[in-house]
Amino acid sequence: MSIYLHKHSPHDQSAVASLLRVQGLCKNYRRGGLWQRQMPIAAVCSVAFEIPRGQTLALVGESGSGKSTLARCVTRLERPDSGQILIEGTDIAQLHSRELAPFRSRIQMVFQDAATAMNPRFSALQVIEEPLRIHATGEQVGSDRPNRREIVRSLMIEVGISPDWMHRPIGHFSGGQRQRLALARALALRPQLLVLDEALSGLDLSTQAQIANLLLDLQTSHCLTYLFISHDLALAARLADSIGVMSEGELVELGPTQQILSNPNHTATRTLLASAKSAAANLAAITGASA
Amino acid sequence: MSDSAEKYFVQVRQLAVSYSSQGGNPVCALDGLSIEIRAGEIIGVLGESGCGKSTLASALLRLLPPNARCEAGSILVRGRDLLSLSESELRAIRGREISLIPQDPALALNPLMTVGSQVGEVLRAHLPLRAEQRRARVNELLREVGFAHPDEIYSAYPHQLSGGQRQRIVIAQAVACRPALLIADEPTSKLDSILRAEIVALMSQMRRQHGTAILVVSHDPALFPGFADRIAVIYAGRIVEIGSSAEILGRPLHPYTQALVRLSISTVMSTEMTTVTAEPGGKARLPAIEGESLDPTCMPVGCRFAPRCSERMEICSRRFPPEFLSETSRSVNCFKYGE
Repeated sequence: MSIYLHKHSPHDQSAVASLLRVQGLCKNYRRGGLWQRQMPIAAVCSVAFEIPRGQTLALVGESGSGKSTLARCVTRLERPDSGQILIEGTDIAQLHSRELAPFRSRIQMVFQDAATAMNPRFSALQVIEEPLRIHATGEQVGSDRPNRREIVRSLMIEVGISPDWMHRPIGHFSGGQRQRLALARALALRPQLLVLDEALSGLDLSTQAQIANLLLDLQTSHCLTYLFISHDLALAARLADSIGVMSEGELVELGPTQQILSNPNHTATRTLLASAKSAAANLAAITGASA
Repeated sequence: MSDSAEKYFVQVRQLAVSYSSQGGNPVCALDGLSIEIRAGEIIGVLGESGCGKSTLASALLRLLPPNARCEAGSILVRGRDLLSLSESELRAIRGREISLIPQDPALALNPLMTVGSQVGEVLRAHLPLRAEQRRARVNELLREVGFAHPDEIYSAYPHQLSGGQRQRIVIAQAVACRPALLIADEPTSKLDSILRAEIVALMSQMRRQHGTAILVVSHDPALFPGFADRIAVIYAGRIVEIGSSAEILGRPLHPYTQALVRLSISTVMSTEMTTVTAEPGGKARLPAIEGESLDPTCMPVGCRFAPRCSERMEICSRRFPPEFLSETSRSVNCFKYGE
């Protein structure tokens, strides 16, 4: 399993340590029922990458390429079969749930249509403060109600929702607003790493752009590290410092964004890029925009 | 615009649809919308979430949810007003003359039936064919939508197919009876760019081979080049601009359309590295349209885009801009172009 690895040029390889380093990650699923032989399917096969603190790695690939499975392993929603997941040097790949507890606040995940996982009758306040209620105890910040309310207020302002709507039920917000609330919730515990699994998919073009800009702003103000999973190469190109291409469970190409776009090697990369460029060319032709 | 029932296959006139909400004000989804669809044309309906485009698509099929009411207007299909037909008359039209390509094929297909028999179901509902004829027709349809081995696909179940294959199956269902009009509501928004291009090519092929008209609803202008003949732009329940694809995308007139096209270009051009100029230490932001569309339960009197419009004038909040004809068949509802 070879991978096209683009080298970072010496001047852009900063001395910043990696926040997340993944090595040899594998996850298989078993298929087959009671009476059939159990055939393992390699959903993720021997994946390795790292993300320096404060940067964004985008994982792109066709549907079914293993991106979401990988995301679920990194956030330990699933336990990988083998490999390492190093958060600032500590391997969390095989930790038990009690040992994982302190990491849950450092890694948060935002999904596509996050609101489908929220109770539509819960208020924005209840949804955003829930992680604080679960994790912050005793003397910690966020352990009492007035304190939590203040935190939620400032989070809502940060993600661009008026705090006057704190008591409005989730069901009364629009799709784009709900994704913002999901971001606020993910930020409540001041995580270091955000895993965004198709978090911008299914949104309107204009909403998508607003939330993409919000992600950029939040990254700067909080020094956040993003693992951005998307089937949309154009969006990934806009947000990411580096891009990894997944195909059939394997990471087949990895490198700085500019290099992947200008010098794609693997067929999967070329196909994705060709398709994106073709859409761009069609639009450019009719609008007269120049590349 | 009067006796054009022959020229236009579908005429929607002053359609008003509102939804009642529990304990709240009714939401006006479409507010006096008029649009015409010519036989064999592909017309795009462009707008953001909540603008009423999906309501329009559902209204054309008379498949609005129970809490929706058609307050006013008419939908003429070859001269007959759909709003005055009975349910059994409508059943004869749906799937036969007007058909839907659903947004999410996974939800539209029955997981317990083979895909072949589901395509066959549509034929059985509308055409008097014998079983062997039906089977042959299903195989023909499966081949038409791109399956090289129809017999194998016939006996497959939806979960055995990929997302793209399922999308092709629902298209086969939609075109089974050779309808005159296909309605596609966000047909590609859940697909990656490769699949998107394939499905667009398939829909274009349907129009080329069978003269089927298609109404395509989308929030993304990038879907339409080389595909739609005309585009109607909807904002907050009303059409704000309509024209040919080349005009709307190449020389948009309405400030909303202009902002949307600019954003679309910027987004898709992200893969052309030379256009992405990052500030030192930062990444280039997208030219998003600031603000959000208005609360649909309380629409203001004037132009609904005015609060977000960088070019708004005093008159814009006083009354809704009427249609100004910029050129033939090209109209825009904006005071920049008239009084």
